Amino acid sequence: MSFILRRISTTKTGKQIIRDAALPGDTITLGRDGNNGIHVADLAVNPHHATIGSADGRVVRVAAQEGLGFELNGRTETLADIDSAAGGELRFGGHRLTIAREDDKIILLVERIDELSQSSKDVDEARAFSLQGVMLGKRMGAWLFAAVMLLAFLVGPIWAWYSYRQVNERPDGYHADSAWLSGPLSSAHASLKNDCQSCHVEPFVAVTDKACVNCHTGEHRAMSMAHANAPTAMLLAARHPPGVGEKILAGFAKTFNKPQGRCVDCHTEHEGAGPMAATPQKFCADCHEGMQGRLKAAGHPTMLADAADFGTGHPEFRPLVRAAPGAKLARAAPGKAMVDYNGLKFPHDLHLQATGGVARMAASFRGRYDFGKKLECENCHRVEADGVRVKPVEMERDCAMCHSLAFETVGGVTRTLRHGEPDQVVADLTAYYRSTPPSRPLQLGGMQRRRPGAYAEGQVYNIYFNEVAVRPSRAQDAVRAVFSKGGACYDCHTIFAPQAGRGWRVAAVEQTPRYLQKGWFDHDAHRETACADCHTAAPASKVSSDLLVPGLRQCRDCHVGEGGARLVKVDTATDSPCAMCHEYHSDGGKPWLPPRQRRKNTAAITNKPLAASYGVSMITGTGGRGLYEVTWRTPALQAARRGG
Amino acid sequence: MASPFSRRLLGRRNKATQVERVRERRHEGFLRYAGFRWAKISGGLCLLIIVSYALVDVRPRHNGGSWYGYTLGTIGALLILWLTALGYRKRKMTSDHWSLKAWTSAHVYLGLGLIVVGTWHTGFQLGWNVHTLAWALMMLVILSGLYGVIVYATLPQALSNNREQMTQMQMLEAIRAFDRQLHSAAQPLTPEDTAPVLAALDEDPFAGGIAARLSGRYPNCATSSALRALTLSRSSDAGAREKVVGLLKQKEAALARLRQHLRIRGLLEIWLYVHVPLTFALIAALSAHIISVFFYW
Repeated sequence: MSFILRRISTTKTGKQIIRDAALPGDTITLGRDGNNGIHVADLAVNPHHATIGSADGRVVRVAAQEGLGFELNGRTETLADIDSAAGGELRFGGHRLTIAREDDKIILLVERIDELSQSSKDVDEARAFSLQGVMLGKRMGAWLFAAVMLLAFLVGPIWAWYSYRQVNERPDGYHADSAWLSGPLSSAHASLKNDCQSCHVEPFVAVTDKACVNCHTGEHRAMSMAHANAPTAMLLAARHPPGVGEKILAGFAKTFNKPQGRCVDCHTEHEGAGPMAATPQKFCADCHEGMQGRLKAAGHPTMLADAADFGTGHPEFRPLVRAAPGAKLARAAPGKAMVDYNGLKFPHDLHLQATGGVARMAASFRGRYDFGKKLECENCHRVEADGVRVKPVEMERDCAMCHSLAFETVGGVTRTLRHGEPDQVVADLTAYYRSTPPSRPLQLGGMQRRRPGAYAEGQVYNIYFNEVAVRPSRAQDAVRAVFSKGGACYDCHTIFAPQAGRGWRVAAVEQTPRYLQKGWFDHDAHRETACADCHTAAPASKVSSDLLVPGLRQCRDCHVGEGGARLVKVDTATDSPCAMCHEYHSDGGKPWLPPRQRRKNTAAITNKPLAASYGVSMITGTGGRGLYEVTWRTPALQAARRGG
Repeated sequence: MASPFSRRLLGRRNKATQVERVRERRHEGFLRYAGFRWAKISGGLCLLIIVSYALVDVRPRHNGGSWYGYTLGTIGALLILWLTALGYRKRKMTSDHWSLKAWTSAHVYLGLGLIVVGTWHTGFQLGWNVHTLAWALMMLVILSGLYGVIVYATLPQALSNNREQMTQMQMLEAIRAFDRQLHSAAQPLTPEDTAPVLAALDEDPFAGGIAARLSGRYPNCATSSALRALTLSRSSDAGAREKVVGLLKQKEAALARLRQHLRIRGLLEIWLYVHVPLTFALIAALSAHIISVFFYW
């Protein structure tokens, strides 16, 4: 029985040299120690690792000695019997022991099969020394990231649009196209956040007006009347010549099918949460700045004056006036003195004087009416319930406190001429004379004859002694007196003498409820400004035909252009875009403003100290009474209303 | 006979080549190429954008949808595509005077200028959406590129200092030599002592994840622990053990040099693993951004 130890070495040229050496004895030791029959210089092998023996010369028994086993067919064993005829392979550390049989001899072939160390292994220099081994490849990463992006932000959103394209309202939850939201929607549209398709109906089609008017069925349905009635050619001609930027924008719009003139051109969305911004001045000024010349050149002459900026370029107001007594209402011609004939005779200067008869009379009524030491604007002018406009003056309510029409007292009841009914006045006076002769002269005169303080509403003043000359003794004389100069009617009204078939007539009084038809003025918003700050001509106005509507100049004391442009020095400026006064969609309505712009701190706008603008309250001491608070006084002349 | 025209052309070409040679001789890098030509062009473009942004009155406010926004967006998108083309250009050999260096110089400076083009295109309206995502990716790509420029300017010096005239294969060869010596020197040791040595031999010098590569810290280094174990061990023959300890120390030093080399190379390369994949992510997000704008037009 003998073992042959076979060693194979390879020359540089790749030629194998096989050396066999017989090993004496039946049992051979294998280990790292030099005394072993088979010396394996391998640190993974114990000094005396195993014994190899054979009892019958055929079956080889391998037994591990020092705890560490060996590998046989992939399994770790400590004892193995191997039929040498069949052969076998064992692993000791980095070495392989092959057992074979040749001519009754057992061949033991020992080879190093593992590298000495990890570092001894062959490396691909370019790969090993770079980050290629430890990082996801650049190309792979590029494909991966790009695919994720396209899936999440292109395919996903399009799928979301596709699956809800016919749906009015999407269910709650995440919708992939919300990743496309370019900015938060305004508060009015905030509920549409999930429903992109409610405005973006068709892909690659710009938002249409149809999507807007599906919900906005009211006045926003159409353009303003002025613009909707204009021929398209004229509207196009009105536009200012485009600058470089607008040419670029128009180029984009044309190339990518974005029609102009849609709702969203002015009402821009996705501009941030909160109320939708008011349409900026530029959208108006783009056409209205220098429009007259452009329209004229294009063959559409217009009366419309140019308007660019309230602070610097705005035409003078053209209020609705009657240019002559009895004339039709028409907008005042620009550049002319403003007159408005309403049929009344009323000197504002006399009534607003701080001294004199009127002031004395008002003072005498303190406590009875809300008068101060003199008359104030609001003693006669009342505002509407909404505070926007001033009511027309009414004789019974606003004049009769001083201008009594009483002519007689019978048993404590005052008899009054009917206001507004000249025929009834004639009849009452005729009846009066028919029944009993006057026990004392009638009081039929106007305001000149009164003694200040002596007349309260409904009182009849006995002026026997100096009335003899004018005392009417007959009914016709009394009627003539009341309608003639010095008579109660004549003082305030234009009287027409009787003509064939007609009795005395009084010219109709027509007060214009709204002077500025094209713009919106809200008295309520200016409640902390004194009347005379804007109606500057009132205290000096001698005749009622003076138009006291403030002009552009008064407005510009506080109001400047949208960007703060101004021609005069303004202490506390209010930026005023077109939309502050002009409403595009409904010509007569109140302009829409975002809530946060609606109420300004008007006290800050008023230049004067607040107290000064409240001259009245300083005198009367009733500070709580607001200038424009709507209070209904007890109706004057109740007796008169009951029929005298 | 050459016409005067072609001769003039030839002259110009010669002159261009001459200028190029001078540049080569001066080792003029891509940063200072042609006297910072592209830095000036890009800086001028940025200045133009910043000033015109302030002067141009866009209503209701600046954003990507105004004419100014469209213009900047178009410039930005084209610029991104052109910048990406560097990856293609650098693989093409040309003899033209649009050299790769010129191209790289333009790539760097126009890429930095893209910060202004892209950011001013947004009108500073940012949010959680694909539009801002595209912007953020663009910024990441640019910043990683900026990092790349900085490390290219600073780290090669450190790399060279660390190498000390050795090639990287020589560094590896040194470790292999120590391994061989360790293997034979450790033969007399007891199994108890050979185990740590074996572990040290089994250690792959290129092992460790990206964190180890970039930080240069290998807390579980088998060579270091073998050194510690054998210094403390009393089991084997002292002489043999001392020899092994000496070899382990040398191997540790060689390993440290290699690892420092790997770390610097990692720092030099890592930005490309951000720059390149994110560029393609950016192009995808940019496509989604542009298509989304027209889809919900």
